Amino acid sequence: MNLTLLATEGFGLNFNLFETNILNWAVVVFGLYKFLPGFLGKMLQKRREGILLELKDAEDRLLNATQALEKAKKDLSSAEEKASQIKVDSLKRSESIRMESEKKAIEEMARIKQSAISDESSEASRAISQLRKEAVEQAIKKALDSLPNRLDKTTQENLVTQSINNIEVN
Amino acid sequence: MFFNSLLTNFAALEVGQHLYWQIGNIRLHGQVFLTSWILLGALLVFISLGTKKMENDPKGLQNLLEFLWDYIRDLARTQIGEKVYRDWMPFIGTLFLFVFVSNWGGALIPWRLIKLPSGELGAPTADINTTIALALLVSLSYFYAGLSNKGWRYFEYYVHPTPIMLPFKILEDFTKPLSLSFRLFGNILADELVVGVLVFLVPLILPIPVMFLGLFTSAIQALIFATLAAYYIGEAVEEHH
Repeated sequence: MNLTLLATEGFGLNFNLFETNILNWAVVVFGLYKFLPGFLGKMLQKRREGILLELKDAEDRLLNATQALEKAKKDLSSAEEKASQIKVDSLKRSESIRMESEKKAIEEMARIKQSAISDESSEASRAISQLRKEAVEQAIKKALDSLPNRLDKTTQENLVTQSINNIEVN
Repeated sequence: MFFNSLLTNFAALEVGQHLYWQIGNIRLHGQVFLTSWILLGALLVFISLGTKKMENDPKGLQNLLEFLWDYIRDLARTQIGEKVYRDWMPFIGTLFLFVFVSNWGGALIPWRLIKLPSGELGAPTADINTTIALALLVSLSYFYAGLSNKGWRYFEYYVHPTPIMLPFKILEDFTKPLSLSFRLFGNILADELVVGVLVFLVPLILPIPVMFLGLFTSAIQALIFATLAAYYIGEAVEEHH
């Protein structure tokens, strides 16, 4: 019955309360409107809170990491400063040590030279005294060699008279 | 006499009446296209509104859409597997959202306020053409998924675990789209018919619980359709060792 009507009428609107089932539909839609947002909303709220918590956590971690980075950078720069200070100090120190050791070496050299010189002179005097001793010995030996030939009666008499003369003079 | 008139009225209520559009030799069910377009448009508006201003703090519509996304991702991941689920998530999500919006839109929009020359507006999924189209898309998808992931080795699936399975596996390729399409179509059409008949017999109060039940089964059907589609794809890309 309705169908034939619909088929001939073409497009249009139907406001028949019972044919359109609009009353039951309204109840269903109202029920959904009443309960679905509560059910879904709770779930979505929980989800959102979880995400916000994670976001906050991540942001906190980012902040901490940034601060740590900042601190590490500061530490690094101070360490670099320290290192350069130490380098300067040690350079200075090494320079002074070098100077000192140079000075010492020069002094040592001077001392060694001095002692070498004194050694040399003592060696020379020793050699001279040796030579002198040898010369004396040779002279004595020569004298002793020639003595037996030169000793005879006349010489002895001469010597004795000379000696007596000497005593008389005295 | 009463019974007779009831039967004719019942028959006139729903089944077999369509708003035909003639394109060449093809007769299209116009009312299905109309409702599909309206619901797809609503879905697109809903999604573009929800994704227009994305923020770190998910509020309102964005939160709801993200929740849906999570849900679809979990569904796809559990059925298809970690390796390729990303490729198929858009497809599974589209199926789920389209079927769900079609089912609920069919029930929650007062279509009957609009009179058509023939047939009546309702859920697009209550028409067998829609569900067969969706099911064939699923068939194409799992073949494509299997062949693109495993090449010719996809056909090992037909003799797995023993070659005795071959006829059954071939039969399955036909029963999968058949069962997919008829399950969805049958459920939604039956829901609309039950409500229609009840409204016809007892106009007030009694249809309400059935309508709520219809909403519930509609949601479940959408979930089942998407889950099965994902399962078939997962089966096709699964590696047998």
